[in-house]
Amino acid sequence: MVERSVQVINRNGLHARPAAEIVKAAAKFRSDITIVRDDLEVNGKSIMGVMMLAAEYGSELLLRADGSDEQDAVSAIAKLIESKFGES
Amino acid sequence: MDRALQGIPASPGIVVGPVHLLRWEVPDVSPRIIGDDSIPGEIDRFRDAIERAKERLAHVRDRAAAHAGPEEAAIFDVQIGILDDHDLKNQVESYIRQNLAAEKAFDVVLHEWRARFAHHASPMMRERVGDLTDVHIRLLSLLLGLPDHDPVEVPKGAKAILVTHDLTPSLTVQLDRDAIAAIATDAGTRTSHVAILARSLGLPAVVGLRDAIQRLTGGEHVVLDGSTGTLVINPTDAEVAVFHHRAEREARDEAELRLLVAADSVTTDGVRITLRANVDLPEESALAATSGAEGVGLMRTEFLVVGRTAMPDEEEQYRAYRRVIEAFGGKPVVIRTFDIGGDKLPAGGFPHEANPFLGWRAIRMCLDESDMFKVQLRALLRAGAHGDARIMLPLVVSIDEVRQAHRLLDEAAEELEARGLAFRRDLPLGIMVETPAAAMSADVLAKEVAFFSIGTNDLVQYTLAVDRGNVNLAARFTPLHPAVLRLVKRTVDVGRAAGLEVAVCGEMASQPVMAFALIGLGVRQLSVAPRTVTLVKHIVRGISAELAAEAAEAALASDNAAGAEKQLTGRLRAAFGDASFLGDGLLGS
Repeated sequence: MVERSVQVINRNGLHARPAAEIVKAAAKFRSDITIVRDDLEVNGKSIMGVMMLAAEYGSELLLRADGSDEQDAVSAIAKLIESKFGES
Repeated sequence: MDRALQGIPASPGIVVGPVHLLRWEVPDVSPRIIGDDSIPGEIDRFRDAIERAKERLAHVRDRAAAHAGPEEAAIFDVQIGILDDHDLKNQVESYIRQNLAAEKAFDVVLHEWRARFAHHASPMMRERVGDLTDVHIRLLSLLLGLPDHDPVEVPKGAKAILVTHDLTPSLTVQLDRDAIAAIATDAGTRTSHVAILARSLGLPAVVGLRDAIQRLTGGEHVVLDGSTGTLVINPTDAEVAVFHHRAEREARDEAELRLLVAADSVTTDGVRITLRANVDLPEESALAATSGAEGVGLMRTEFLVVGRTAMPDEEEQYRAYRRVIEAFGGKPVVIRTFDIGGDKLPAGGFPHEANPFLGWRAIRMCLDESDMFKVQLRALLRAGAHGDARIMLPLVVSIDEVRQAHRLLDEAAEELEARGLAFRRDLPLGIMVETPAAAMSADVLAKEVAFFSIGTNDLVQYTLAVDRGNVNLAARFTPLHPAVLRLVKRTVDVGRAAGLEVAVCGEMASQPVMAFALIGLGVRQLSVAPRTVTLVKHIVRGISAELAAEAAEAALASDNAAGAEKQLTGRLRAAFGDASFLGDGLLGS
């Protein structure tokens, strides 16, 4: 199992479109992917779950992956969040 | 049964045509229990419906991208994502395995999800309920074999009248103007999304009909009159003739006014009044450029954020501003920075406020969210290289806001310089005068701004403490109140003494009596909706500035709004005789 914390740095937060992008990225990995915000844990492959995080600008998330490609999964999703989803 | 329904007039024009009823509501689903041997088939039926809904959404997305652009179409990718959600599928299938029919299983799950989103503390979440509802309706319609109500499939040339509960942004982007000739909704007010959109597209519209959907079955012939707010179901030949007569008269008046497009906007005593257009959407700029307007007096930028899933980036904003600036080939284009908050919510939502019109909005929010604001300022500076652009700040109450905005504009210019992009550094920075604070301190503000533009609607609202959206207060919303007239007069006098341009950019300036009053108070620049530019020009050409000044003086000396109106209308009628169009614009008469 791999864990990594990441901060939401795009101004609009994880609204619908970024949530869709995270889920699309997560779906490429075989590992189970969980995203945790405070005491809420959601499935990283579920758009409803990711939207449910209501992670606005500045919120801290914990990414957790468990499976054969756990390392790559966590890095890919962290990179996506850190890239601000193309927002300027 | 009464065949004439009365709603709220939202966008003028008369259309006779067939009803396209869009029942975009969640259908009732009765519980249905299935036997164990039917379970695999029911799961297949559910999965098949998901695939068909996704195909349909991909089609809708592509159509929307072609009509409205890729940013607007992105909302459908989110909906496809919801249909792809494994948690959702697993929950539904587990209910099916407990012998619930597919439609009920899906219905139960979606109701649960929608309730969780609807009651969430975060506005960002509550905004997404609309997407879940869209998905809920779409999939249930497929599972229940209900007719497909998508407005996408109205045939071109149908000239149909779209009747629906409310036009959501996701429905709006699908509108094909070759197929839809008018819009009628049960919800909505004059200032709601659908009304603003219809006016900007030039589509006649009636909103607030309350129960039109229940009274119609689709396919009926109706007459929609967007000027009076009526919808007549299955009109008699005589009724149609009356409407045709009215439509002809409106068309004739308009044709007469069209002749004025190229005419000079000068009073009978030779005073030039500059007329500019208000533009809500870049798509309107072509219409505005041929309306007889000498530039844009107010380009609103809220279309870039309202109803969207994300804030627009610099590139998208730059393209939108540049499009309008280029459409006006060198004539002034005044662009107002984001006037969001209050009733206009941006992407990502806003904190709930008890008093949004007095709250964290417009320039206040932009200055606090300076990174977001600088994206807009950089886009404006870059677009400024393509013509005569000017920047206007909304809701200013103090000189500090002007200074802060100047500082951010300098930073934005430095950032562009560092990136080596083309831009114009010296864009004029002016302000909206729409609060009593700005009008009273016009002398202070005049020293550090390039122009004033008076926003009449908000100035009335903030001066009289009357909410302009509250129907119970409609009679108290009086632009001719002496306090408002004095604030306008003061702003004009101070601005002109300082050598500044003083414009008025509220829709109110397109009402003949208000245009007359404003010219009398010394305003020399008016900005109105493109469709009304020639009407105002007609007023300008029929009056003398001297008569207007005399009328304004008498109005200022009146002790109330009714007295002021009497002073103005009496003189205006004397100048024009009993021209029919005057009546349309007269306030409260």
